[in-house]
Amino acid sequence: MITEQGVKDFLHTGGYIADDAIATAVFLALRMEKPILIEGPPGVGKTGLAKALSTALDFPLVRLQCYEGIDEGKALYDWEYGKQLLYTQLLRTQLDSYLSVSADLREAVERLSAEESLFFSKNFLVQRPILRSFMSEKRSLLLIDEIDRSDDEFEALLLECLSDFQVSIPELGVIEAKRKPLVILTSNGTRMISDALRRRCLYLYIGYPELEREVAIVRVKFPDLCEILARQMVDFLRKARELNLRKAPSVSETLDWAQVLSILKATKLTPEIVANTVGVIAKHQTDLQKVTELAVQELG
Amino acid sequence: MERIVARFVAALRESGIRVSPGESLDAVQALALAGMEGRRSSRQLLRLTLVKNVNDIPTFDVVFNRFFNRFQFNDPEINISGLMDAAIVDMEGEFHNLDQLQGDDHDEPGPLLKLDSDINPEDLQELKSLTEVDPDDSDGNETVVQIKGYRGKAKAPRPTRRYTQNPLTIELNKSNSVGREITFSPEEQAAMQDVVSRMMVRLRKDMRRLKNDQNRGKLHVIKTIQKNYRHDMVPFVVALRRKRREKPRLVVLCDVSFSVSHASRFMLLLLHTLHNQLLDVRSFIFNREVAEITEMLSNMPVNDLMETIDEGDIVDLDENSSFGQVFLSFKKKYLENLRGRPAFIILGDARNNYGEANDWVLDEIREKARYMLWLTPEDRDTWSRGDCLMETYGSYCDKVEVVKTVDDLSLVVEDLLRDIYADNAHPLDKKRIREAKVAETYDSSEYYTRGGSGEPAVFDPSGRSHW
Repeated sequence: MITEQGVKDFLHTGGYIADDAIATAVFLALRMEKPILIEGPPGVGKTGLAKALSTALDFPLVRLQCYEGIDEGKALYDWEYGKQLLYTQLLRTQLDSYLSVSADLREAVERLSAEESLFFSKNFLVQRPILRSFMSEKRSLLLIDEIDRSDDEFEALLLECLSDFQVSIPELGVIEAKRKPLVILTSNGTRMISDALRRRCLYLYIGYPELEREVAIVRVKFPDLCEILARQMVDFLRKARELNLRKAPSVSETLDWAQVLSILKATKLTPEIVANTVGVIAKHQTDLQKVTELAVQELG
Repeated sequence: MERIVARFVAALRESGIRVSPGESLDAVQALALAGMEGRRSSRQLLRLTLVKNVNDIPTFDVVFNRFFNRFQFNDPEINISGLMDAAIVDMEGEFHNLDQLQGDDHDEPGPLLKLDSDINPEDLQELKSLTEVDPDDSDGNETVVQIKGYRGKAKAPRPTRRYTQNPLTIELNKSNSVGREITFSPEEQAAMQDVVSRMMVRLRKDMRRLKNDQNRGKLHVIKTIQKNYRHDMVPFVVALRRKRREKPRLVVLCDVSFSVSHASRFMLLLLHTLHNQLLDVRSFIFNREVAEITEMLSNMPVNDLMETIDEGDIVDLDENSSFGQVFLSFKKKYLENLRGRPAFIILGDARNNYGEANDWVLDEIREKARYMLWLTPEDRDTWSRGDCLMETYGSYCDKVEVVKTVDDLSLVVEDLLRDIYADNAHPLDKKRIREAKVAETYDSSEYYTRGGSGEPAVFDPSGRSHW
């Protein structure tokens, strides 16, 4: 049986440092077979958690990137019209001989309609991400990324899939998931997600990590970076986050910066180093200035 | 355990967090699965399953601390079940009073009330009499509790430099009951979300009609062929090319000087919430100069933006506002590249500080605009007093509205959107919308007097002669 500590440990092996809230959420999602809805600022590792989970649990990752205007043809399934047409053309002679046995038109129609299901079978079904993860023989991880970019209609479409793990296809009936996938939805909060969807999920908010956790994250990703420098840069970035920047540096920026510093073989943060590499952490012109000033103030 | 969870859920609901029965079931299941080893982990389990919104998390924490301090009966030696029931019944009434005793520090989970092993129901009775309140005082007490409950959520109001010594602010405060801080509290933002989402629901009906209308374009050959594969190319199903979806365009000019700061700050919040929902909005703010803030509205958190504006970083706030100059520079800088007949909203009190009126610019803007609406926080009878040019400027607008509260504002904007949509719609739909409007007239008859001026100011949108 998996425990919360177990979750933490195997996420650690996947290169992801989880805190208690994350570990508990994952543990519950696995046990209760419920989706997790993750919200938080960009770059704090929402998608990263899904990726780490998929490697750690050895669940194949099925990713659905949402965008404005996504519909069931892109997310659930589609019919392969071309193939259907091709088959009818190719099978024409067979069909002729098959139907020629029948005495009159009525019988021919009956014979044909008995075989109707052939043309609306799974052969001609194109599986899109959600259906693919439901049909997977192995338990999979379905990542529905940036759900806030999709429209309300698509959210409503997800309700059936997420609560009952089934897809209704008018021609085929209801298809149930072979193995219920672990579903992770992420959102940047640019649009309010409906309460109906929230209710079906466990809700996890990932904010900026605490000092120790962020240092640990840097240490895991870049083991050759010395700990003092790691601590110093994380400390600096935490101060930068309080500066009221247009785009606050997030964990992904921390990691980028760590990489830059380790390439430059820096051993200590100085205002010069910050000024030279500030483009990695600040992404707006006004922010650049504020961060450079902070560096002079803090490190000078 | 189910009972405790149910009571806890009830307490959450009392504090305004919406929790569905399904979620409480989830919570029970989660607790059963993970076990209740400690306060921290139970808290996390409950939070994961019961709270579905970031803004509710602080409230949850407060309720959690308050609630589970009541339930700290950890000593397994005593047979407490009966006693506890009695205690719960007795304490139910004292709940509010206990809340006051607890003080400010919500994060310290120190036990409020401990049951000693030798406690008996009589003691509880005594406890009850201790905290009994004077019936005359009960009103006052309740108010205190409400403020207490508030504290966990909202930041302490911050005095600001700009919004304090302004008679208008006070009046707006009366109708709005909002604090004087620049930044918006989560409640205000949530309220605005609420207003906007209600507005959306009402608008959606009309929008759906518009959507059907969009499909009435030319034949889409490729899609028609695709759709009719299965009919062996006999075009049973026809796919039409979608008409380009026209988002209504809106240009907002918002005065941010002292005199209207309160109204404009809600206008900005409304715009921020509306942005990207269904509109193509270009927003400008002005005092003496004019500046575009469309980009910032969509990229920056609204509180940061308010602060930036308030610090005078975008337009200088120390100058006197000058509408004439603003119109002139707006014409020079932006008017040329405004696309596709937008609707104009101007928010301001039209107090020109005795500068040049330059009202001819409005005439030019009018030519470019589909519709022009002026929102002013001042009542009608002051429109021609002092340096107010409302009468002059108003004669160029399709409509002038007195707007004092958030609700007024949202109604006005909704009305405007409806008009724009109706304008875009298919002739058939136009007729339907118009009919629907006629049917509604009775409801909106008191619409224009809502500002509270007392005098029923009726504006005829089509007749400028009124002025």
